[in-house]
Amino acid sequence: MRATRGRTLSQRQAALVLLAPFLLTYGAFLVYPFFRGIWISLHDWNLLAVAFNPDAKDFVGLRNYERVMWGRGIVWGLAAPFWQGLGLLGLAWAAVARRRLGKGTTLALGIASVLLIVLPGFHPGEGGRWYDRRFWPTVGNTIRFVAWTVPGVTLSALVLAAALNRESRAMGLLRTLFFLSQVLSVTVVTLIWQIMFSPRQGLIANVTEVLGASPITWLTNEQFAMAAIVIATIWWSLGIAMILFLAGLQDISRDIYEAAALDNARGVRAFRFVTLPNLKRTITLVVVLQIILHFQVFGQSHLMTQGGPNDTTQVLVRYIYQTGFRDSELGRASAMAVFLFVIMGAFSVIQFVLGREDAS
Amino acid sequence: MSRTSHWLIILLAIPAFVWLVPTLWMVSLSFQPNEVLARTTSSTAFGLVPLPFTLDNYAALFRFGQTPWWFLNSVIVSLGMTLGVLAVSTTAGYALARLDFPFKRSVTALCLIGLMVPEQAVFIPLYTMFADFGWHNSYHALILPRMAVPIGVFLMMQFFRGIPKDIEEAARLDGVGWLRIFWYIMLPLARPAMMTLAILTFLYAWNDYLWPLVSAQKREFFTITLGLASIQSNFAQSEGLGRVMASGVIASLPVVILFLIFQRYVVQAMTAGGSKG
Amino acid sequence: MKHVLLTAAAAATIATGATAQEVTLGRFFGACEEAGTDTTTSVGEACIIQSIINAADAELDGITINTLPTDWGNYYDQIKAAYAGGTPPDIHVMHRHRVPEFAGLGAIAELSGDLEAAGIDPSDWAPAALEAVSHEGGIYGVPMDFHANLWHVNMDLMAEAGLVEDGKPILPTSPEELLAQAQQFKDATGQDYLAADFAQFPIGVRLVLALMWQQDANIFTEDGTATIDTEAAANAVTAITQLFDAGLADPQLNYADSQQAFLNGEAGILVNGTWVVDFYDAQAADPDVPLSSYYAADFPTLFGTGATWADSHMWAIPASLAGEQRAAAMQVLAFINDHNIDWARTGHMAVRNSVLESDAYADLPHRDEYAGTAGIARDTPPSARYGAIQDVLNRELQAVWLTGKPVGDALADAELEVQDLLDR
Repeated sequence: MRATRGRTLSQRQAALVLLAPFLLTYGAFLVYPFFRGIWISLHDWNLLAVAFNPDAKDFVGLRNYERVMWGRGIVWGLAAPFWQGLGLLGLAWAAVARRRLGKGTTLALGIASVLLIVLPGFHPGEGGRWYDRRFWPTVGNTIRFVAWTVPGVTLSALVLAAALNRESRAMGLLRTLFFLSQVLSVTVVTLIWQIMFSPRQGLIANVTEVLGASPITWLTNEQFAMAAIVIATIWWSLGIAMILFLAGLQDISRDIYEAAALDNARGVRAFRFVTLPNLKRTITLVVVLQIILHFQVFGQSHLMTQGGPNDTTQVLVRYIYQTGFRDSELGRASAMAVFLFVIMGAFSVIQFVLGREDAS
Repeated sequence: MSRTSHWLIILLAIPAFVWLVPTLWMVSLSFQPNEVLARTTSSTAFGLVPLPFTLDNYAALFRFGQTPWWFLNSVIVSLGMTLGVLAVSTTAGYALARLDFPFKRSVTALCLIGLMVPEQAVFIPLYTMFADFGWHNSYHALILPRMAVPIGVFLMMQFFRGIPKDIEEAARLDGVGWLRIFWYIMLPLARPAMMTLAILTFLYAWNDYLWPLVSAQKREFFTITLGLASIQSNFAQSEGLGRVMASGVIASLPVVILFLIFQRYVVQAMTAGGSKG
Repeated sequence: MKHVLLTAAAAATIATGATAQEVTLGRFFGACEEAGTDTTTSVGEACIIQSIINAADAELDGITINTLPTDWGNYYDQIKAAYAGGTPPDIHVMHRHRVPEFAGLGAIAELSGDLEAAGIDPSDWAPAALEAVSHEGGIYGVPMDFHANLWHVNMDLMAEAGLVEDGKPILPTSPEELLAQAQQFKDATGQDYLAADFAQFPIGVRLVLALMWQQDANIFTEDGTATIDTEAAANAVTAITQLFDAGLADPQLNYADSQQAFLNGEAGILVNGTWVVDFYDAQAADPDVPLSSYYAADFPTLFGTGATWADSHMWAIPASLAGEQRAAAMQVLAFINDHNIDWARTGHMAVRNSVLESDAYADLPHRDEYAGTAGIARDTPPSARYGAIQDVLNRELQAVWLTGKPVGDALADAELEVQDLLDR
């Protein structure tokens, strides 16, 4: 362990050596592709045509964004009263409770509310239309998927972790059981659940049939298809959230619980007043990870429902994939990918603001 | 105390069973003859008990299947990616957490911004880039793009920040260089965090579907995830349901075993870390 | 780790082999690992094509064939990705409807100079087959079949409903008769009259297209004008939705489920392609399968002109392929061309005159029952956007039958979107 002073690197040199591998891969496989993606999105870029002739791309400026996200005769109004009303409520809440919520949370809530009021208000006016009628519904489906999956995973993982946070053989076994599905690959998961949901071969149908109910055509029914892929996803991805929560729970010192027990806080009360506050950071981490993960959902939609029926489970990444590789329109696909980045960035910023608030 | 935990176990056993059923069903179907499955999937106890029983599906799989080969590819790609991510993340995480150097704040910010870039948002430029280099259909094409994941750096940075500074300062007073401190002191301390990162990365790599889908078109470079996708869209037509399920089991079995061995270690590591803190 | 990588690298070298001419082959049709090399006894699309490929691998000197596994859903995406990455397979199957796109970009090779040397005689191809592989005067592939939509019939159920005469099913000749016979069928058997994949693949689209062509209408014109929001289209769609509305067919079955319903004797008629004739024939012979008396009928004419959706499978090679590798690929194409009769056993219609006129072909099971199909085969005008257009129609039609979207709205929306695609 002893070394002579002269032979060691300076702090700067050591930092450079240690950072070099990261900066190189990061620059080559994330930063550069990111800007290249933006560059592609400014072109009419046919996958095959450009592959055979590199000059076969036309610079079109922001046309791809317009063709994907805008339309003819788009006007603004009260097109979605529910969401816009919810936005107004959120705004009102932020204004009334800004002291209690703290600066960052108020700001985040305010921005979210304003967006909720503004964005759903755009719609095609008389004789107008979206240039791409599928894009916004696809975004909506993706948000719906995230809005069901993330709370589903987080809540069930939290409850399970709290219940399983005991040292015994049985608890260890149960933990293993709940984590088991996590290690399966997405294609195994879709394989299992495709058959599970099948109205004539499926286990669910077989059970409901015995109970006398007629089978649900899960994957081809507009009302159930999204629910089906959400169920499969929760089943699949509960494990990591649960493990992270368990790790967080074990970091909470026993002393705190003992002190709380003296104040007569046990069981559910202890969970509410000791566990939850101490777990806030882990919860934030889990939610961020889940949102980022599930916003990029692809396999479940691609393999279980092919985006159907009637596009109700078409999600953003699948649309990007289709536009790029089925329709060969890399420019349009890249414009959508940039949009995906903007949305993810917005979520990350909100979460970052919330996280800093907790730290201070 | 013990009475409540008994009730808890019984209460939890119900959701645990429900949770297990889909996997159990896959395993059970893989042991049933295809001819039977073509007519009904609920022969005995909703098909959860493999009666009538056969091993034909597995025999066929090992005689003809590409599943073992795809599996090997998945192992290579996932291990390669895990080691790569660990190497890149621990070094950079330590430097960002503990060392002073010019532009440190900018580099940290750059890393945080990187967290916002979803990999699925850059797969198209990555695809064209690798196509220009002629790199598709190779192991490095499957591994390299996924090493640039800043979440690992972020996790390791958070971890190193939590380690008390006095250990490091004592070593510095003894004249130990930064790289040695990193290698001999920090890395051993970081084992639990590295373990977590390794598991996360391995699972992520194992499950990755979109990038292999666009990058690998030759069967030599199919991962198990991709291979299974390619057989399941046909299962109704040529291959029997039992065969497909058997592939699913074979694909999952080694990871499940690996995890069962691994998990004990993970839990121990976490408990050890918890008692120390 | 290093060790693992080295072992893997070594294994990869062994597996890919270092033999003189390795021909990579891309195809769909599904996997069949137990196909063997006997091309005359295999059953089903996947196994018949794989047995032909295996036989070529065994019989052609100095050529080994590496079949790339590709699923249906991603096939064209993967082929395009492979072309764009500069590593297309040496031979690959495709549909005739993709020729404008692939040939238009210069991806696939023009073959008229190579055919003779490889021993392929294009004059033996039926005129329609030659047309299928032709694009702007050039020949861009070797045709393998025509495939079309048929009405697969469960004769026992039809007999029970009194819809059999002289051993042939009585099929409707108008939309009104369709409804009446379906009702008669339901009353007698309690089962659905008709099943098809209305919820997944574009089988329902092909049904509607056929009914439009029967009225001498089409979804777009040769000069690129979408004509979907029309009375003919509305007639075609309502001819089908009337069955759903009366509870005589279930729109929510996907491909596998509709097929299962038919085999289980829960539907009198299944609308599906020629590719399953030998499979259903084999199933009907199996005593464990409820379907026991099977008939493959021509798509009935409900309006003025006979028409059914049809397409062609064909084999192409990349334009970049040259020299010995190209010659080897052509040899494999010639081998497949020589085995046209084996491929026809799937139920597909052959492309070579010498096969079409042979006794072996006429003797194939059920062949005489749908002899009229070749004469009524139709498809949409050629377009580089074929895949995307089918997708639009599939979505809008699914919206009609799965979610009750008004027919007029769906057709209007489909017309707008298809026009966008044609204008792009």
